[in-house]
Amino acid sequence: MLLEDELKYIFEDIRQELHEGTNQKELIQIAEYYFGGNGKALRPMVTLLMGKAINYHIHRENSPRTVDAQRKIAMIAEMIHSASLIHDDVIDQSFSRRGKPSVNVLWNHKKVTQAGDYVLAIASIMLSRLKHDEVTLMLSAVLNDLVQGEFMQLGAKETENERFSHYFTKTFRKTASLIANACKGSATIAGADPQIVETAFQYGKNLGLAFQFVDDLLDFVSSSETMGKPTAADLKLGLATAPVLFACEKYPELNPMIMRRFKEPGDVEKAFELVHKSQGLEQTRFLARKHCLEAIKLANKLAESPYQKGLVDIMDLVLNRMK
Amino acid sequence: MLNRFTTASLVRKIVYSTSKDLNLINLSKHISSTSLSNVQNATKPIRKHNWNQAVSEAEKIVGYPTSFLSLRWLLSDEIANVALHLRKLVGSNHPLLKTAKNLIYDGRSNMQAWGLIVLLISKAAGHAPHIPDLEEDKSAGVLHSQRALAEVTEMIRTSTLVHQGMVNLQTLNHSGNELAADSEMIFGNKIALLGGDYLLGNACLQLAGLRNQDLIGLISSAVRDLAESNFVGDRDDENIALPSDPALKINLTDDKPLDDFDNTRDIDMSLIFGHPEREWNFRHTLSSGTLLGKSCQGTLKLAGQSEALQKHGYTFGKHLALAYQASMDLEPFKLQELPLTATFSLISAPVLFHIDHDPSLYEEIRCGKKSVTNIDFRKIHKIVTDGPGIDETKELQRKHGQIAMDVLNEFPDCDARTALQNIILAMQCL
Repeated sequence: MLLEDELKYIFEDIRQELHEGTNQKELIQIAEYYFGGNGKALRPMVTLLMGKAINYHIHRENSPRTVDAQRKIAMIAEMIHSASLIHDDVIDQSFSRRGKPSVNVLWNHKKVTQAGDYVLAIASIMLSRLKHDEVTLMLSAVLNDLVQGEFMQLGAKETENERFSHYFTKTFRKTASLIANACKGSATIAGADPQIVETAFQYGKNLGLAFQFVDDLLDFVSSSETMGKPTAADLKLGLATAPVLFACEKYPELNPMIMRRFKEPGDVEKAFELVHKSQGLEQTRFLARKHCLEAIKLANKLAESPYQKGLVDIMDLVLNRMK
Repeated sequence: MLNRFTTASLVRKIVYSTSKDLNLINLSKHISSTSLSNVQNATKPIRKHNWNQAVSEAEKIVGYPTSFLSLRWLLSDEIANVALHLRKLVGSNHPLLKTAKNLIYDGRSNMQAWGLIVLLISKAAGHAPHIPDLEEDKSAGVLHSQRALAEVTEMIRTSTLVHQGMVNLQTLNHSGNELAADSEMIFGNKIALLGGDYLLGNACLQLAGLRNQDLIGLISSAVRDLAESNFVGDRDDENIALPSDPALKINLTDDKPLDDFDNTRDIDMSLIFGHPEREWNFRHTLSSGTLLGKSCQGTLKLAGQSEALQKHGYTFGKHLALAYQASMDLEPFKLQELPLTATFSLISAPVLFHIDHDPSLYEEIRCGKKSVTNIDFRKIHKIVTDGPGIDETKELQRKHGQIAMDVLNEFPDCDARTALQNIILAMQCL
């Protein structure tokens, strides 16, 4: 893979930053638990590829001095992501993540919560060292998006025709915002012109949305072994994602179940079955493909380079991944 | 927790008895004379050093009270959402309700006090000539950016309190298929976690809007300190802090102060644990001292003040927070007898000092390794009340109050400085 070594060092450097921030051993243990390298590392990978593709687009062979700052943005993006996973696992009472027991199984929940705050604080300190007001604002806005996305997930009060737009907004805030803003930050710090900055943002946004749609799809088809987390987890958490929303168009009996968040006995099984009987999964894949194609179109606006090609190729992985 | 009437009468008693203290009398003289020379000042000399009065006088000096912030929160969708969800928890045992109630009603540990201090020190210091007038909130004498920072400080502090008010559900081994009784707790945790995250996220965004990267680094490091403070020393299953074994104490001839640190990495923890004052200092510097210290330092940075004055700001804020903590630590011990279900902090200064005086008290603490509910708080209360820990804590309180007071002398005489002096004095009488 194009960036394999570089990604390995990103995780090593994150762990080092976390070690340097404190001498409390248990805090370090929890904070670095999800930086073991078992993750997909999608966020740092995309951020690095975007940074390098844009550097080539502007400077061709002369690699600019901003490379190190872009690398830091990739690290910060992964740290914000992990902090949110740490908090999600406490909220959702998960069992496992990335093929191992999740943080909430192993440690005191109050400590786990604080460890998430710690990871954010360290990321924020690193961000301030970049000394770039706009980039700081972008990545700080992501934190707000993440929380607001979680809040949107709490209640299903919206009417039927609001549901899709609610789901889109939620997906942007919970998943796409971080990738989009990390790409935008990387482009901004490289000194790209506003059009290219916008291209980077839109690419990240489309990739993020497609990634999450596929994730929501896999929740219905993958087995727990390949996903590293249990199947139909979303239904069990009371969440209606794209496959259910599409299925609901054909089977309106899903409506009351969505409203009561699949709480009654048999709801989860029934909804699962109806999704499979409907075209919901195909329609979700189609939606993901649409955003993948859009992202590829945007990537093709950049000068051709191995990294730019990486931005195109990665969409195939996003769409056709099995886990 | 403590009955308001009994504490009020006790406070009066304490005011009477401590006013015999020479130190305090000197200070009060000093304050009244400066205030008298400044007749047009909004603050009048406060005779009894009443906390609420000192705070409300101080609020007038810096324009509208910082509790304006709470109004803005009430108008935000997310918080309205949280309030709605909170109602579902009424009747459950989730501590989030208590946290919420304390934030709203408790006049002394309330969230506004921290922001107010930041505003007062901002006004006391003034700002460098190169800061454009447009930036200033004329009526209050503080910069708009400083007011924003004061709000950030309050948001961070509140966020931490809300996150600490969760329940440890690690022992629930049936993740996913929750039982009805657990589901209330799981839901309460969810709201507490998200509520705290919302405040923290907003604080970050508002801080980023100030476009001062040094300040962002400084305040972020205070957030790190707060998180770190939850890992220091022994804790029970609910992460409630327990004192260290007094056997760990290392006596040093060279008594380094061990209270000036930028991060805890370079600190040798073996010198901290078991030593009452160092342990108290270390834990509370992390859990409250650096946030107020760094906020006061940061607000002077925003005002374009010299590095030296910024450093003074840090010292002032840190020691004020420690003086405040010592006052809070004393509060439960003003009662002759602890009410049946009441508890108090086991890492409060009176307890730590007493353990140092008589290590056998630590045997009582050991019962709480699993849960502090197994500890006989009334017994410890009685032992500590009769011991030397109370007086040592009063001494500790005065020591930190005095350091903060001394720093204030570096600032020009003005109404905001007088208000801060009155707050420090009122703290001694809390």
